[in-house]
Amino acid sequence: MRRPLAILLGAAAICAAIFAGSYYVAQRVSARRAANPADDLDWLRQEFHLSATEMARIRQLHDGYLPQCGRLCQRIADKKLEIQDALAGSTNVTSEAERKLHELGDLRAQCQTQMFRHFAEVSREMPADEGRRYLAEMQRVVLGSHETIEQSMSASPGHDHGNH
Amino acid sequence: MNESNLNPDDAKLGRLLRESRATPALAPRFQQEVWRRIEDAEAGAAGSTWLDRVAGWVLRPKFAFAAVIVLVLAGAALGAREGVESARRNAQARYVGSVVPDLLR
Repeated sequence: MRRPLAILLGAAAICAAIFAGSYYVAQRVSARRAANPADDLDWLRQEFHLSATEMARIRQLHDGYLPQCGRLCQRIADKKLEIQDALAGSTNVTSEAERKLHELGDLRAQCQTQMFRHFAEVSREMPADEGRRYLAEMQRVVLGSHETIEQSMSASPGHDHGNH
Repeated sequence: MNESNLNPDDAKLGRLLRESRATPALAPRFQQEVWRRIEDAEAGAAGSTWLDRVAGWVLRPKFAFAAVIVLVLAGAALGAREGVESARRNAQARYVGSVVPDLLR
């Protein structure tokens, strides 16, 4: 290899190493400094610029919401077990299984309704603009994940819902 | 010898001295030879490739130092921005995970 080419390749490698090293160190340090893994609500404080008073009220709402959510989740999990039992060993969807599937759907809808009510309550504790932004973001996250699942189902072979 | 005859302002003496200074004749084809040497020097410089010139440039300490500073600053700035962004994404995922049950996601 010619000497100038070797010099340039060596210089490029050194440059890449310096850039990558700086990037990696800065990324790790800033991620560690910005993170607060002990607090689930830290994102709200940072993202929506909330005061300590607003955070205290939201924390109260959050702590009140979690047990309600847990109870509904438990009922959903129980209903799923009932459906599994109703479907077990059968090649048909019995009327009982169908009824339980509807009940599961109702429970999920209740859970979602409760969740969106909680989001609305939280948003009201924020400054108006930030509250609207929070609601839009939560709708995007929650409904967006459903859309992703539905799209993946309609895109998979044998699930061509659009042509029904 | 009379010292008054050595007066440097003496016009006659000056003329004699100028006439006595030998002016050698230029070598044959002197001018062509000068141009040939200039052309050879230019041809030698043009013979080095752009790679040689860039490599020479890269090896200059000033350039190397400046490049290191720029790369460190650029890497650190982009890394810091990405670090803050990834911390934000993780924090958001933690919050969403705490309020949105897995059963609904």
